[in-house]
Amino acid sequence: MTEMLSSLYGQPDSQGPAGPSALGCGSGKSRVTLSQNMGPMRFPHQMVDEGGPIRKPAAMNEPFYMLQELPMENELTGDTNLITHYNLEHAYNKFCGKKVKEKLSNFLPELPGMIDSPSIQDNSSMRSLIEKPPVCNNSFSPLSGAMLTGFRLHTGPLPEQYRLMHIQPQKKKNKHKHKHHRPQDPLPPETPSDSDHKKKKKKKDDDPDRKKKKKDKKKKKNRRSPDQPGMTGAQPSSSSLR
Amino acid sequence: MAEKFDNLEEHLEKFVENIRQLGIIVSDFQPSSQTGLNQKLNFMISGLQDIEKCRQQLHDINVPLEVFEYIDQGRNPQLYTKECLERALAKNEQVKGKIDTLTKFKSLLISELGKVFPEEMAKYKAIHGEDPPS
Repeated sequence: MTEMLSSLYGQPDSQGPAGPSALGCGSGKSRVTLSQNMGPMRFPHQMVDEGGPIRKPAAMNEPFYMLQELPMENELTGDTNLITHYNLEHAYNKFCGKKVKEKLSNFLPELPGMIDSPSIQDNSSMRSLIEKPPVCNNSFSPLSGAMLTGFRLHTGPLPEQYRLMHIQPQKKKNKHKHKHHRPQDPLPPETPSDSDHKKKKKKKDDDPDRKKKKKDKKKKKNRRSPDQPGMTGAQPSSSSLR
Repeated sequence: MAEKFDNLEEHLEKFVENIRQLGIIVSDFQPSSQTGLNQKLNFMISGLQDIEKCRQQLHDINVPLEVFEYIDQGRNPQLYTKECLERALAKNEQVKGKIDTLTKFKSLLISELGKVFPEEMAKYKAIHGEDPPS
């Protein structure tokens, strides 16, 4: 310790100001240079003029070292309710008080087509329109007679793959009727081709159930009356007709 | 403000209806429908012209890009507004909590420092007494 002090004060031909390792201080900016020829101690931040006084003139000689002015106060802080401040109570009650429906078709009920499905599926996303805007002219000009010849179509219905474009999903009007059957299953969108298959499938599903029930009834009848001729098991009754 | 939206909405509805009728004509096309088809195509172009004219009235309207993500997913864009309001309220409450906690801490610190360093705190209050109270 005394060696450190002597190295600081007792050597005018010193290597220069004591390094941070001798003093045990940190960064260079806050380092206090000590030498015999130095005047009264001044702190580095006092010597730097940063536009405004860092310390108040009245406090210059006070024991406070880094007393700074308080920051300017804002009238609007997180302490106030910003929703009432910006008159958004009505909007808040409208959107957060009531239940907002999830689907886009609830927001745009009159818009035709399948709008609830993700637009990436049919490459009609708005994001792609923003990222890659289509290259076109600045003006819209009506089609001339020659241009309209390109729109001469073949007669007849569209192929099945293109028929889905104008079909809208079914709305859940008959929900109350289906409650006792399947309350949790949503009604899927039906197409003319799919509805026929589904009706056929329903009939097929019903038929094996009916067949099973008929078989069970037959078995019960056979068990009750085993003495009846021509009614034993699965044997055909053709023998009785001889 | 609402009038320019109503104007645009009207033009868009007419345009969409025109497109829907065009789709019906095309779905089962007959030779006699050709003139109607041509008419609908020209209505489509005039509809686009009308929508283009509405653009000038709405040049100062900004739409956040996140709303388009909701629309692309087939979700109601009002859910975006709802979530914004909920997030704003949650953040407001969070910041208010921080402010209240720090205010309590400051008053507690000043009172405790006043007990330990009464003279220094008196000088401190004399200095900051010139400042407006925080």
